[in-house]
Amino acid sequence: MIDRVFKTRSTPKESRQLAKDVVEFLAGFIADGDALHDMDIMLTEACANVVRHAYDGDSGELEVRVRVSPGESVELEVVDWGCGFDEEVRFENPGPESEGGRGMFIISMLSDSCEVRKLRGENILFIHKDIGRPQWKS
Amino acid sequence: MEKLTLERKDAVLYAKLKGEVTLDITNDLKRSINEELGSGVEKLIMDLSGVDFMDSSGIGLLVSVNTRMRSGGKAFFLYSPSPQVEKTLSLVQLLSFFEILSDEDELKAAMV
Repeated sequence: MIDRVFKTRSTPKESRQLAKDVVEFLAGFIADGDALHDMDIMLTEACANVVRHAYDGDSGELEVRVRVSPGESVELEVVDWGCGFDEEVRFENPGPESEGGRGMFIISMLSDSCEVRKLRGENILFIHKDIGRPQWKS
Repeated sequence: MEKLTLERKDAVLYAKLKGEVTLDITNDLKRSINEELGSGVEKLIMDLSGVDFMDSSGIGLLVSVNTRMRSGGKAFFLYSPSPQVEKTLSLVQLLSFFEILSDEDELKAAMV
């Protein structure tokens, strides 16, 4: 298992860059472009949630903890120290005319499991993604 | 804005997006497109062939433009979404919600 932590401020630009940095790190292990694109989308959505909701329109700390189990899976924890998720987090797809609210749904569709956790002041979005052996670098 | 090229032909606006469409630029894109739409555009064609990454804020932008055009009785088409965009649109079940032009013949017909 390989663990790595990435940190930044939760501005739109820096959070997108953070997602890219994590994907670049994962590309050291994963060969499959589609799998990397899925990771990119999930990370970008999760980080964008922090930008939009965590610090009441302000920016704050944003951290991504990555755990790579080569040949098996990737786990992500997207962490902020802001106001936290609503009690009921929605993973549903909103109606077609809704302009927002699709981020969590996209993450739930692309991951094998995901959940929100609150731990010692940390708001954590946990994402687990199984990645088949042929998709890894040999 | 380098990510957005606008071409106007009478009442048709052809907008080509390029690169990544994510939260850090969607507000600017929306502003630029809305400014142009204010001046008698009856049909908007958005070329997504060069977009290699789109997140849910990009999808929100498409939905917002679509709502504005349709509520004014005007036409809105997506042209040739890249495989990455198509995948994201299909994930949120919006592929059939938008009118999509898939090849140059359909584009030419729609430009008239």
